[in-house]
Amino acid sequence: MARPRVYIDTDILIIGGGTAGCLAAWEARQVGGPRLKITILERGFIRHSGCLAAGMNALNMYLNQGTPEDYVAYVRYDMGGAPVREDILLSVAREVNETVALMEAQGLPIKKRPDGRYLNRGKWNVEVNGSLLKPITAGMAYQANAEIYNRVYVTELLQQNGRCVGAVGFGVRDGKYYIARAKAVLITAGGAAGLWRPRNAGDAHHRIWYYPFNCGTSYALAKRIGAEMTGFDMRLVTLRTKDTYSPTGTLAIGVGAPMINALGEAFMRERDEYLKFGGHTAPTIYRLWAAVREIEGHRGPVYMDTTKGDPQRLAGLKAQYLDMAPIIVLYWGAHDLDPAREPVEIDADSPVLVGANAGVTGIWTTGTTRMSTVPGLFASGEALGQAPCRFISGSWTCGRIAARHMVDYVGQNPGPAELDEVELARLEERTFAPLARWEEARAGGRIFTAGKPMEGILPREMEDRMQLVMEEYAGGRARLFYVNEAHLNIARKHINRLRREQVNYLMARDMHELQLAWDVIHRLECCQLVIEHILYRKETRYPGYVSRTDYPAANAEYDCFINSVWNPETDEVTFVRRPYEQIVPGDRTKESI
Amino acid sequence: MPPYVIPEKCDACQGEEEPLCVQVCPGDLMLVDPGTGKAVCREPGDCWDCMICVKSCPRQAIETVIQYQLAPVPAKLIPTLRPDSVTWTLVDCHGHIERYVVKTLAGEEEEEEL
Repeated sequence: MARPRVYIDTDILIIGGGTAGCLAAWEARQVGGPRLKITILERGFIRHSGCLAAGMNALNMYLNQGTPEDYVAYVRYDMGGAPVREDILLSVAREVNETVALMEAQGLPIKKRPDGRYLNRGKWNVEVNGSLLKPITAGMAYQANAEIYNRVYVTELLQQNGRCVGAVGFGVRDGKYYIARAKAVLITAGGAAGLWRPRNAGDAHHRIWYYPFNCGTSYALAKRIGAEMTGFDMRLVTLRTKDTYSPTGTLAIGVGAPMINALGEAFMRERDEYLKFGGHTAPTIYRLWAAVREIEGHRGPVYMDTTKGDPQRLAGLKAQYLDMAPIIVLYWGAHDLDPAREPVEIDADSPVLVGANAGVTGIWTTGTTRMSTVPGLFASGEALGQAPCRFISGSWTCGRIAARHMVDYVGQNPGPAELDEVELARLEERTFAPLARWEEARAGGRIFTAGKPMEGILPREMEDRMQLVMEEYAGGRARLFYVNEAHLNIARKHINRLRREQVNYLMARDMHELQLAWDVIHRLECCQLVIEHILYRKETRYPGYVSRTDYPAANAEYDCFINSVWNPETDEVTFVRRPYEQIVPGDRTKESI
Repeated sequence: MPPYVIPEKCDACQGEEEPLCVQVCPGDLMLVDPGTGKAVCREPGDCWDCMICVKSCPRQAIETVIQYQLAPVPAKLIPTLRPDSVTWTLVDCHGHIERYVVKTLAGEEEEEEL
């Protein structure tokens, strides 16, 4: 069976044309010159794919005041004093304002004060009219004259003598086998949603905060090539508007609405157990933790009391949401809800794995090079670990920095040798296996009248099973994000059964379903890391995000980064601890401005 | 708010290699039904509500309908694209209409609430 192939030979290969990937392409062109070959593989359509697809109404990393050091102090404070990669954060903070100015020049409308300065929302944010944020971002990749392949889904990275030299995947629309050989590879394929069961079911199961088509591909690819992975012992859990799971920064920072419980208590400042964390402006991690404790203590529902917010800001609230999460405006209209008259109910969304938003999950990188422990493999955006709170503007910046190091690497290293045909054939079979199994079942008549294969599993079925296991045994919302060793051991057993055995029955009836099949395979790769990392971290470092009932307090022994390397022979991971290096002096649990 | 296609309006972007909604959907969810020749969302539950298909449709043939488990009929939210702004029309449960104009590209025009 000769499947059509597309061969790509490039200097720089970018997997994921999103926030970081597009700016990486642009910067690579600036520093690499006109002859550099830059290629982007994008699973969607680059102008409208990724986390920015629906738009965004603020850039949450911008230095309205203070120094890069102050930003680092803020980030580690917001993470409750947990270790962060201060070197990486500093490198981003030093350039982020320049990047924002660059994007404004590309047409991004940034709201202004009467004196012409950017309209800020708190110390570190600026408000934008960001409904075209993604087309404007993608425009940078077009300007860079990057070769853009839309609708190509990457299934595995290629290596030669331990160096990453490309990737393979399939064309979602054309069904072709894509083979890309590269001198340097950048992973910017986003974080991971959908490992745990979503709060809504059925036709609303993708009504979640995070982009549901980010399925952990970044992490799965890097893990499988042997890169050191980090931060899977933390998941980001966000407080969002109940039912629509829209962002709440617009309410909390934008309107200044305090959280209240069912008793009307502004609990962050009225209840003794939370007071020490700093009231309404306590770190994000403690606000989540406190809100979930209120629900656990039967003092829910929890609300954001918009009736006590700034009335002037409240007037523009709907317009602000329309730039980012229009559904909530309809939700309010449909249910006769008026945030000026009644508080907005909030709840915790399902956990997600992110590295550029307020999470630390990702690929471990050396110094500020953005190169992983696998030579030739770089990471940026959500794929880069332990440098949280870069958000959109920091991811743009981070992509630029990664590109500079990649151009250096390309200049200093010879190109890879010819690719191994035997290996390519093996990966082709692996990539298309779910389709082949379906064809075989069909040829043998092994399909029930309802269309379900007799000895096969469809991607959605496997996703449901995975989400059930993770929800119940790996600390989903159903367990209020609590975990212990007994639960995690059950999760480990079932997830590994799915990964090692059940995945061999996975079938796809068409190219779209092949994409869904790979979504669940990549998510399962992440599930393994989550379970093993949380088991390894025998403490509670990130209360609320991961609350271990068997080790409920932090333990100084784990005040470090926990990294793992996957062994393809044994399918097990080995751990290595990396020390936290404090560069910005001061108390890690305090802001500096 | 999953997209539903109004059959009388959809012409599957005649002349285009790929209908625009099919081209843009981040989740690969829109396709042309070979039976009807019209666009359709293959799995409304997989939609993330980014509304790019709605904004991209040259014939305004796509309506986003909120999942009933989240909100009841007959509320509606309809975006209309202009060169440098979007006009959003909200019809609430009482039939009241609110309109919002939101800027999309940098320029002099001020945001307004109608």
